[in-house]
Amino acid sequence: MTARRTLGALLLVVALAACGQKGKHAESVIHRRLEGEPKTLNALLATTDPENVVLALLERNLLEYDEKLDLVPGLAETVEVSSDHRTYTVRLRPDLRWEDGRPVTSADVVCTIRTLVDPKTPALSRKSYWDGLERVDAVDERTARAVFREPYAGRIQAFNLPLLPAAAYQGTDVNTNPRNRAPLANGPYRLGRWEAGRTLELVRNTQYSGERPGPEMILFRVVPENSAAFQALLSGELHEMRVTYEQKTRLEADASVAARPLIFDELGYTYLAWKNDHPLFASPKVRRALTMLIDREAIARTLYGGLARPASGPIPPGLWPYDPSVAPWPHDPKQAAALLDEAGFRPGPDGVRRRGSDRFAFTLLLGAGSDLQRQITEVVQQSFRAAGIDMAIRPMEWAAFASKVDAGDFEAAILAISLDPNPDLAVYWHSSQRAPNGWNTSGYRNPKADALMDRLRTTFGRDEARGLYAELLRILHEDEPVTFLHNVRSRWGLSKRLEEVRTSPIGLFLFWPGGSAWRLGTGTAPL
Amino acid sequence: MLAYALRRLLSALATLLGVLTLVFLLLSATPGDPAVLAARSSGGRPASPEALAAFRRLHGLDRPLPVQYVTWAARALRLDLGRSFQDGREVRERLAAALPATLYLNGCALLLAMLAAVPCGISAARRPGGRFDRVSGAVFDLLFATPSFVLGLLLLLVFSVKLRVTPLFSDPALGPLGVVLPVATLGLGAVALMSRFVRASVRTALDDPAALAARARGESGGAAVRRALRRSAGAFSALAAVLVPSLVTGSVLVERLFSWPGAGRLLADGVFARDVPVVLGLTLVAGCAVVVASLAGDLVSAWLDPRLRDVGLLGERP
Repeated sequence: MTARRTLGALLLVVALAACGQKGKHAESVIHRRLEGEPKTLNALLATTDPENVVLALLERNLLEYDEKLDLVPGLAETVEVSSDHRTYTVRLRPDLRWEDGRPVTSADVVCTIRTLVDPKTPALSRKSYWDGLERVDAVDERTARAVFREPYAGRIQAFNLPLLPAAAYQGTDVNTNPRNRAPLANGPYRLGRWEAGRTLELVRNTQYSGERPGPEMILFRVVPENSAAFQALLSGELHEMRVTYEQKTRLEADASVAARPLIFDELGYTYLAWKNDHPLFASPKVRRALTMLIDREAIARTLYGGLARPASGPIPPGLWPYDPSVAPWPHDPKQAAALLDEAGFRPGPDGVRRRGSDRFAFTLLLGAGSDLQRQITEVVQQSFRAAGIDMAIRPMEWAAFASKVDAGDFEAAILAISLDPNPDLAVYWHSSQRAPNGWNTSGYRNPKADALMDRLRTTFGRDEARGLYAELLRILHEDEPVTFLHNVRSRWGLSKRLEEVRTSPIGLFLFWPGGSAWRLGTGTAPL
Repeated sequence: MLAYALRRLLSALATLLGVLTLVFLLLSATPGDPAVLAARSSGGRPASPEALAAFRRLHGLDRPLPVQYVTWAARALRLDLGRSFQDGREVRERLAAALPATLYLNGCALLLAMLAAVPCGISAARRPGGRFDRVSGAVFDLLFATPSFVLGLLLLLVFSVKLRVTPLFSDPALGPLGVVLPVATLGLGAVALMSRFVRASVRTALDDPAALAARARGESGGAAVRRALRRSAGAFSALAAVLVPSLVTGSVLVERLFSWPGAGRLLADGVFARDVPVVLGLTLVAGCAVVVASLAGDLVSAWLDPRLRDVGLLGERP
């Protein structure tokens, strides 16, 4: 009997100890989801979300976006701009170190920028900011200076730039450098272990001089399949993931699960691109009519579950030039019919509108993979049919779809865009950027709009720029080069135990402090 | 036999070359510029023409197609499969990381399928129309008709979510429980196919006049089945040859569902990103597996049936 009691007590102690260990371990690890494996952890070559969200914890930027999208000091104490807006002087903080203990110096800044502008470096998401760099040099140990050939209003955003350690990259081929998969960190975490295709473990960087992060470890798990990730979120094995509308509804409906939804505005919009030089879509009246035929409020209500609002133009509400006085075109089929009549498109014998030999029939391309976009196009198709417009829908494999759109080889297409905080609209709407030479895929052209975009490139005062933006946005609103469909809200499922979660228009992670401020609590504190 | 083996080898190599060329041409003809696709995945500010040009130059995409192909083929002869467009790593290195996981997964699934399918097929063949034959036939038809993705999701919901006996994320490091669901998902589909195949082959052999005569001479049921199995060996080896390539790339959806870092996921990512070196590298490996397996299958068949090997190097019969 005594022996049995002793054994029982021993088992109890072991069980309690195990529980205690498990609890401690769980407290200090945040489990995060990656939809795919990072291809690289070289901050210049990174392009995808999985790469950027991991790097956001490993590497600080010279300047960081805060949650309101203002640029604030990061690795750089200051970035001074010369009066002619061509020279940028970066002054680093004094206490910065790489994880191997070496100081972060101006040599790292120079090496990073020179690597970035090297024609051999395919830095797809960063290179365009550094067009026109004349030279970059180290002034002293903590100061570097970059000189550009021409001033550009959006240039300061180039300094939202992570660094490469010069000691590892100087004189090497950046594309094959072994550090691309074993990065040296200067941020709050460093890479502990990378089990290819499965997990990345980030542990606290003891050399980091900023605020010590709460969790001991961030465990990223590669979970490509959304339904499997959601089950893990429900059971508490993952602490965050982007969720679908159905999943968000499930989280709201079931209080017993370990996660709750988080909804916020992000920079971006969905749109229907019309090829502007196509005979059917050349007139702004026709494009406006097409927009007015679509009940975007109803789509937002029914298909987005209320998590979207009709877009008025290419600047979403989260960006400073947004002009709330420009209202989205209303849903008004009568007015739309009148506009189509004015443009010469009148109902033909088969019920489809015609103008001379031009029958109002066209094909809209749809990138495969989004059920929601397919449903939207079906609603649009019905609305158009009722107005005498024959729209066929052609779903395509995504890469083939993107290729056709980028080449400008389409009549109409449904697209979504997510923007960075630089409001420069020239990239998408200037006539010099018409496809296939640039990203103005609709082929929009308006000399007045071009002139305004040209002026905005060299307008540095925000008040003056705001006036120019207002004028430009009104022109784009009148011309309606595409049908701006919706500004869509972002949907996440987060563990109820996560605390200190902040949001920004660029998401949960790509601003400072982003995910590095997250803490694990008991699950009772509000987000 | 040697001439037969040589003839089969030459024809297999020609087939392999043809398949590689075809895959290269198909990938090249499919719309989708790898540089633009990589840039589009970044969101935010679009890539500049200079950045896109740097990407194309880096990966030789600025050269004419025939030059790209010949360059790749010349390197492949030296076992250099080039670098992935997606991450710049050597394709050889990526294959070496992904293939063992896939071979392990599919190998276990195939083994499970064989262990279950052979006895089931034999039992069903011995009493065609019997209760076991009818029930197993219905179950296997259902399994065969169920997409592996659906089957896997069902298993995941039952065993990982409801019963919590298996982990949500498969991992061989967690022991048998860490792999049982993906293995079962793949294995159950294969059991259905193989079992019906075994049943049909054994039944055919049992219905053979020679088998009938043997039974008339008083041969026991067990001996008849053994004889039938021997007679079906050629068909089994042909089936094995057909199934071997699936060891390399046969688990794309299951790998995705169970977060399994194998060659199936690598292939799918490669196709969507138009990552020609990765897709060609995997095609080469899968092609070699087909060549070796079909060659082995043919040689086994020829060894079992001497009539098959009485052909010359060019296929002529004496």
